Amino acid sequence: MSLSLYLPLAGNSINIFLLFGLGGAVGFLSGLFGVGGGFLMTPLLIMAGIPSTVAAASDSNQIVAASTSGTYAHYRLGNVDFKMGIILIVGGVLGGTMGVYLIKALRALGNADFVIKITYVVMLGVIGGYMFVESLQSMRQKPVESKRTVTGPAKISLYTRLVQSLPYQMKFEKSGVTLSPLMPLILGVFVGILAAIMGVGGGFIMVPVMVYMLRMPMHVVVGTSLFQILFTCINVTIMQSITNFTVDLVLALILLLGSTIGAQFGVRLSKRLKADQLKILLASIVLVVMIQMLLSLVLPPHLMLAHKGGH
Amino acid sequence: MKVGGCARPRLILLLMLCLFLAAPAWAGDASPEIQVWPDTVEIGAFFSGPDVKIIGKIPQGAQAVIEIAGPAAPEHLMRKGRRTGLWMNVGEVEVQGAPSLYLAASTTAPLLKIPPAEATWGYPALKQQIRFAGQVEQEEREMFLDQFFQLKESEAVYAIFPGDLKVSGGSGDSQTVTGVLPLPTMIKPGAYQVCLTVVQGGRVIAKPCRDLKVVMVGFPAMLASLAYEHGATYGILAVIIAIVTGFAMGYLFKGKGGH
Repeated sequence: MSLSLYLPLAGNSINIFLLFGLGGAVGFLSGLFGVGGGFLMTPLLIMAGIPSTVAAASDSNQIVAASTSGTYAHYRLGNVDFKMGIILIVGGVLGGTMGVYLIKALRALGNADFVIKITYVVMLGVIGGYMFVESLQSMRQKPVESKRTVTGPAKISLYTRLVQSLPYQMKFEKSGVTLSPLMPLILGVFVGILAAIMGVGGGFIMVPVMVYMLRMPMHVVVGTSLFQILFTCINVTIMQSITNFTVDLVLALILLLGSTIGAQFGVRLSKRLKADQLKILLASIVLVVMIQMLLSLVLPPHLMLAHKGGH
Repeated sequence: MKVGGCARPRLILLLMLCLFLAAPAWAGDASPEIQVWPDTVEIGAFFSGPDVKIIGKIPQGAQAVIEIAGPAAPEHLMRKGRRTGLWMNVGEVEVQGAPSLYLAASTTAPLLKIPPAEATWGYPALKQQIRFAGQVEQEEREMFLDQFFQLKESEAVYAIFPGDLKVSGGSGDSQTVTGVLPLPTMIKPGAYQVCLTVVQGGRVIAKPCRDLKVVMVGFPAMLASLAYEHGATYGILAVIIAIVTGFAMGYLFKGKGGH
């Protein structure tokens, strides 16, 4: 029996162990950091010979499984803030719809690819860089805890005042924060727009937004982010199946078997690591992806022609 | 009239006999022919791109090229360019007249590497039939043709094997050519043509062709038809399978966890 598995919608065969390994590695990161892993998996699948549109859509389907498994695991650990998650989902769906229209308009103008690539590099660079520096400082200055508050008291108080001035303040018990539901709603819209532009679930943007802007504790952030990603990717899977026929179930099934197993190991390791260690690891991965993408923008491409579709 | 009527057919028969004796022996009992194994390729769950074996009979001293070509369909590609110092897709290029698959092998390397100007085989012949539409200037055509072949070769849907056809003596005035061409895993279901071009004295003396069918069967065929004909059902099914698998895996790991 051949080790190659035929993927009917991708229209290509691929080694079954390679797929399983890719799924496992990305699932591990998904469980560890609470990110869907779309920003890693899609480029890896394209490199393995899957058309970019099929890679992105099928990846959404496997993220449904990985995030179900991860959400379930985090729910058992008491790490999911459902109230916050639902508000973020509502914002995310609104923002996602706006983002889809924005991309349509940009495509008509002919510069959508430029916007997408630049958004990727800027977002990955800012988030990765900020998280990396912040976590490094936090790890180094842990014994002198008071020093952290000295670094930017004016900025923090201004932001806090702004957050506190919003109406309908409510308590989010699981996250241990009190803020207006408008806050996660607006941030959800913002992440939704970016996720639609970049064609990803948005976990790697959502996690820092929850940590730094909603001030949620890291372990609740991971569980809640997975919960939000689950719904985003269910929506994407069904929409892509209806409109573009790009969800390859065979590809998704192998990936999800690997990723659900990987996610369980990731969740367990996330409990053993400290929040700063988790953040610095995620920041490093985000920065590596950003550098790789930046190089692809700066260095001359191997071929001057490429297939249409995807990013 | 009657006598004349009888003498005329005899004359024609005599002329035909003379022509038959004057013609090369292969033209009568061993005209160039081609056989293909398998003649139908099935894409199943574990499809890994089979080899297609082609055997042809050609006259002694002749050369041959074997080609497998897929139907041409317009293809939409993006051209890359530099904008504000960054490389990105800058415009759409429509490619017309390019076969979806092109594999070729020849008895001698130069026949395929540097074919004569009037040749109907090889990349130079394809260049004649490929048209670009969209954002390609006339002076860029040659460069983009080369780029197009490189893109197709990187996907293994275009490949040439100069000098890879084996020639064996055979009997009498004919010889046998044998070639094995690898079908790519990216091949699409459809009707393909396998042709044997026989070249003697610098000109094509025959070009017999055979059909090669590629069909999707079994589980991949079932899944593809569900996806294309019932998109919503397929999408919901994909989500349900993913959620059930996610929960099942979560449950399986539950007992081994610390909580």
